[in-house]
Amino acid sequence: MSTLRWNIEQLKTALEKREELKGWILIHEHFKRRERYLMHDHTTLTMDQDREVHGENLRVRVMVLLPKNGRQGEASRKLFTSEPLAPQIDAAIEAALQTDYQEWSLPEGLPKNLPQLKTADPKMAEDLEGVMKELTVRISGAALKARKAKFNSAELFLSLHDFEVYNSRGMIYRYSQSRIYTEAAFSFSKKLSSGEMVSDEFLNTRWAVALDDFPIEGLFEETAERAEQTLDVQKPESGRYPVIVDAEVLGQLIAAQASQLSATNSYHGLPFLKQGDELFAGAKGDLVSITLDPSLDYGADTVAVSEQGLVQNPLKLVEQNRVVGTSADQQFGEYLGMKPTTVRGAVVLSPGSMTREKMTQAAPRVLEILQFSSLVVDPNRGTFSSEIRLARLFDNENKSVKIIKGGSLSGSLKENMLEARFTQNCVMRANFSALSSGGSGYFGPEFGLLSNVSVVG
Amino acid sequence: MGLTQQSRALFPSDLLGLRETLATLPRLLEEEQGWYGSVYFERKTSRVLAANLKNTQISDSTTMGAVLRVFNGETLFEQATDELSSDNLKTQAKVLIARVREADALSKKIKTSYRTPNWQARLALKLDPEILSQIPKQVTATTPVHFGIAFQNDPRTPSPSETFDRLKKILEECKEVAKEVGIDSTDLTYVLARQTVAEEVGLFIDRETNMSQTLLRVALVAITMSGAERTVSKKGGLGGLEAIQISKDELRPQIKDLQALRGAQRLVPGRYRVLFGPVTTGVIAHEAFGHSQEGDTCARGRSMAWDLYKSGEKVGNKNATILNNPAIFANATEPCAAWGSYYFDEEGWLAQEQLLLDQGVLCSPMTNFTSALQLGVPRTANGKRESWANGVYARQTNTYFSAGDKTLKQLIEDVGDGYLAFHPAGGMEDPKGMGIQVGLAYLEEVKGGKRTGRLFKGPAGGEIQMTGYTPDILNSIVAKSKIEADQDAPDRATHPFNDVGGCGKYHKELVQAGCGGPYMLIENVVLG
Repeated sequence: MSTLRWNIEQLKTALEKREELKGWILIHEHFKRRERYLMHDHTTLTMDQDREVHGENLRVRVMVLLPKNGRQGEASRKLFTSEPLAPQIDAAIEAALQTDYQEWSLPEGLPKNLPQLKTADPKMAEDLEGVMKELTVRISGAALKARKAKFNSAELFLSLHDFEVYNSRGMIYRYSQSRIYTEAAFSFSKKLSSGEMVSDEFLNTRWAVALDDFPIEGLFEETAERAEQTLDVQKPESGRYPVIVDAEVLGQLIAAQASQLSATNSYHGLPFLKQGDELFAGAKGDLVSITLDPSLDYGADTVAVSEQGLVQNPLKLVEQNRVVGTSADQQFGEYLGMKPTTVRGAVVLSPGSMTREKMTQAAPRVLEILQFSSLVVDPNRGTFSSEIRLARLFDNENKSVKIIKGGSLSGSLKENMLEARFTQNCVMRANFSALSSGGSGYFGPEFGLLSNVSVVG
Repeated sequence: MGLTQQSRALFPSDLLGLRETLATLPRLLEEEQGWYGSVYFERKTSRVLAANLKNTQISDSTTMGAVLRVFNGETLFEQATDELSSDNLKTQAKVLIARVREADALSKKIKTSYRTPNWQARLALKLDPEILSQIPKQVTATTPVHFGIAFQNDPRTPSPSETFDRLKKILEECKEVAKEVGIDSTDLTYVLARQTVAEEVGLFIDRETNMSQTLLRVALVAITMSGAERTVSKKGGLGGLEAIQISKDELRPQIKDLQALRGAQRLVPGRYRVLFGPVTTGVIAHEAFGHSQEGDTCARGRSMAWDLYKSGEKVGNKNATILNNPAIFANATEPCAAWGSYYFDEEGWLAQEQLLLDQGVLCSPMTNFTSALQLGVPRTANGKRESWANGVYARQTNTYFSAGDKTLKQLIEDVGDGYLAFHPAGGMEDPKGMGIQVGLAYLEEVKGGKRTGRLFKGPAGGEIQMTGYTPDILNSIVAKSKIEADQDAPDRATHPFNDVGGCGKYHKELVQAGCGGPYMLIENVVLG
């Protein structure tokens, strides 16, 4: 295989010359990743794997006119600069001609006065290798610190992504994003009076965009402490509980509910809440306000402009439990006769007034989820369920705290958010998944208290 | 699988030059004595066509890259790139060598030596005839060996319009059945039919081996919704279009369930007698002693299975036999290979059936390259990665319980009062704590050994979660079905059915995995 046969400017020129095209969008990404897999080896750390990755993604989305009134074709395709250009464009156009969409057009005009957003950690952007070495040393220190719990393994992934976005209206937008992932696993063992050795572990994971949002030592400390709690556990008594969940869980629940505020759902006949509706009918706890914010410093989906060329500004979706906005890109906005809005950004949830400590005392018995095994959230029904990996049960009548493991919890946002309370303290969370090239972000209360959640032991 | 009227997927001719270039790299990488060099390359090209009530869509995707690897006796170093020119690959090799040298200079650890298996050693293993038949008789270290999946109807040839016609026919059939079962057209709010066809080329080269494989992965999914309720049918495997034919009759249960879900009751949390279907049984196997038996998890001190394997302690009854098998080239009675199958893994180990749990007693774990060395157990073909850009782990392929001797009819009678759990909704492992989470989309009630047709959702109106302590569950298996559970006659198929599935390592690193097995009756199941 040969090297570069054409460049982006040649690609843009080639696309502009194709009369069949009514529009196109190009997203060009270069990325570098460094990864280390660390494990315990007697008294030291050993590196199981050490990886370096260089890659490029160049994806085109083409739109063509169809000989049917009000319809158009669309297709997306990955392009390779090492292969001849014309056949790749031909293939994309040929595919688009076979599809059938309601017609829409990219917005007129170029986005102006775009803000300079913080999307990449400056230190990582400058020296990814240096950061990898520095964090490896910090992880070694955090992992090998003398404790009751035993360090088992850790992973550290760093990456830097440079994006260039172009479209047929002449838009050019460039930005970089840094991503950091780590996981830590500690186990704890003890001998029972029967002589039997028992052992269990705790695994913690964390994504972030900026090093300042990435508390390695704190994460390892918390993981070790929770590992030490894994053996004095009991299953929950079946019943209904007020349940404290953390920001990771709140982020997933609110993002699922926010999907019902999108024009995409409305167009496809999926569950949709229109402006004026109550988000949670009859809610009377801390009333929820939700904003889609693409401007947060080092948010997982911080971006100044969408690929369609729409400037992305914070968008209020819900005010005091009342739906006040609909998230619509140019395509679905045009379909529904709505002005297009922001579609990117972190989900921002308004803070409440409580502290976590007050939440633990909010009822005779309060369950605090430290970790779900695998939270399943159904964005259509607004339901959620999971096995309880580790939790604390605050028995305020007996003034005791029991550690819970096992059993499952199932809830419905419509029911369990009715009297929800939130902490005043807010935190940022990020998540990146193979299923999406972008990330999903959350900024909001560190903890939430849900009411009347079903638990089975 | 016989090869009458079948073809095999060839090694793409446009990659022949790259193969020659890659073949020069392993020796280049073995710059120091004791270093083991190898190269893995993949190209995965997929085309997804979908039709819903509003539009038809096409999405083409390709991921392609090479991974240069050096094991220095302690760490596996990888340098991965998708810039595949000869010059760049040589540059990347030099960068990799420099990284390994730097690490060698810093480490004082005693290194583990690795002896590269040659073809003689590889052929001494018990291999499936489908693999053996494709290895040339006079094979040497430099012989390009190619494995191609067998197929009847090439899934790459139909035009988009032909495929869209088929997908639109499925939409129409869904609407017709919906009307038949009493769902108004306005209440059938969303219907989607989606076909995925992928060509997956893999290449592994070290100083003793130069082998490639081409897999054709096909899947068909039909989704129907009424308001927030959703039901799904899917078909898929490795092979041709014959693997993803779906008839109107096969769509009928999906739409009937959708109608029943609209009025479904909520389950009262508790302990029940439950008959699991092949796919949900597969999730139990996968989460129970699938993940726990992944060698890297064991080597990191993160699985109780390793301790139990060494102690020989029983963790299940006589029905608790679990296998992992990447060499299922005939998926039960389906005309295709099972979804999680391949000829060799992404570290160049040939696929073999492996017993993970034998009547409640744990066997040696599945391994990737480094975990086999770390644990001192045999290599198995379980080194997999999300893509060339991701790291390799010990992962499952097709994981399932062995078949039993009952028919489905007999097992439903044996349920007495309880539930059928045939529709999965994810799951999660807990290798160290030996807990288990198996998600169930919904349940069907059984009363007096007969199906009532009444469906149940979770206690809050969503999915149902089965939880428990894995050994308790494996000791509560009452009975299992034959592979061909709808017939009294002896099974003709060798392997239980494995459905289309996916798998994460804890919360990331998504890979394809087959998920199946027999029907299985378990008592005292905690559902909530």
